[in-house]
Amino acid sequence: MAEDKLNPAGFPPIVEPPTEESAAADSGRRTRFRLIILGVVLALAVGYMIYAAFPGNALYFLTVSEFMGGAEYQDGRVLRVSGKLAPDSFQREGDGTLAYFRLVDKELADNAGADAAVVAGPSLRASYVGVMPDLFFNPHSEIILEGSYSAEGVFQTDNILVKCPSKYQSLEDEPPADYNSPGYSS
Amino acid sequence: MNPSLEPATTKSILAGSRKSWFGFPGWAGGLLLLTALLMLVNLYLIFMVAPTDAVLGQVQRIFYFHVPIAIVSFLAFFVVFVAGIGYLITRRRRWDSVAHAAAEVGVVFITLALLTGVIWARPVWGVWWTWEPRLTTTLILWLIYVAYLMLRAYVPDRNRAAVYAAAVGIIGFVDVPIVYYSVQWWRSIHPSAVVGPLANAGALEPIMQAVLFFSCGVFLLLFLYLLLERTALRNGEDRLSSLRFAQRRGVTDPD
Repeated sequence: MAEDKLNPAGFPPIVEPPTEESAAADSGRRTRFRLIILGVVLALAVGYMIYAAFPGNALYFLTVSEFMGGAEYQDGRVLRVSGKLAPDSFQREGDGTLAYFRLVDKELADNAGADAAVVAGPSLRASYVGVMPDLFFNPHSEIILEGSYSAEGVFQTDNILVKCPSKYQSLEDEPPADYNSPGYSS
Repeated sequence: MNPSLEPATTKSILAGSRKSWFGFPGWAGGLLLLTALLMLVNLYLIFMVAPTDAVLGQVQRIFYFHVPIAIVSFLAFFVVFVAGIGYLITRRRRWDSVAHAAAEVGVVFITLALLTGVIWARPVWGVWWTWEPRLTTTLILWLIYVAYLMLRAYVPDRNRAAVYAAAVGIIGFVDVPIVYYSVQWWRSIHPSAVVGPLANAGALEPIMQAVLFFSCGVFLLLFLYLLLERTALRNGEDRLSSLRFAQRRGVTDPD
């Protein structure tokens, strides 16, 4: 039988195989056809995924300078902006939960070093209501804000995400204590 | 045909399949024992020996589970890929058994990688989940291999299921390098690789690297054990169903 030739060590079919040669050949062709369709659909799905995630179509976040340089980003649409907390920019409104701070580009903050009270370059003023994430004030953290730009020129943050460096080192090598508190950088 | 023969046959087939690996009995049991002992050592290293991370604190220890589990799931899908090619070329059911077993174990591991990632992301990033490239491509990887298992379950003819599954396993593997390179190709919140061609020298302290590699080795052993055990069981299932088929034929055959 044709099926056995194809499949010398094959599995026993659950359904009894058709006895006619033509039926076996027919089902083989249908199998191949379905296989091709399946392959094409899968390849298209994977291809679309690559296309959809490609830079220019969808970026996970914008940098501060990209955001400040593009008027189209500032029309109130919801997006993500990434940067580092500008030193000494964090302030709370009294005892409330509303906080204001500035983000600057990662490169600017890194080049400015430890004593940078002044960071030259574009910065984004942002507001957030709520509790800051644990690692928000850590000088190694990159901060990603989800929200939209308001007419007053303040980025109204809905969510704060913290990106940590891809580098791990043991606690003994670093000064801990107030490491994650607002006062650390000054 | 005597129907009372069947339970004994089932038992002996499944028992026989255990011994079939490399011909020596108890092989799987020994591997299980070794893996269990090394896993205990691994836990000790992770929680007692590895230093606490300076920035992330204690929660960073989940790294020694998350990374090895993710690497092993990639390896599992590579096995599915290779065994799928092997099956399509030779049409031998052994290849298909290995592919099926590797896909099942791989889905378990990729699920664990996603779960440990979710648990880690919440205290560190501030969210359980975010639609960024590494996470999204990994979720797609999970969906591809869940679909692989569903396909196997839904196609009634075992030969066809094996051919379809081989095709999905081969094409679906495309996503594995995409997951790995996603943090390099696209902006991401996920840390970049600490293992493999993209790894930065000095991303890990030597002691952390040693613990990570040990953990990778232990999870590799666990994967091998599960793969061998499941493949043997799969072969047993095949033999059982062919015996059942022969028996049914014997009953329905006029002579």
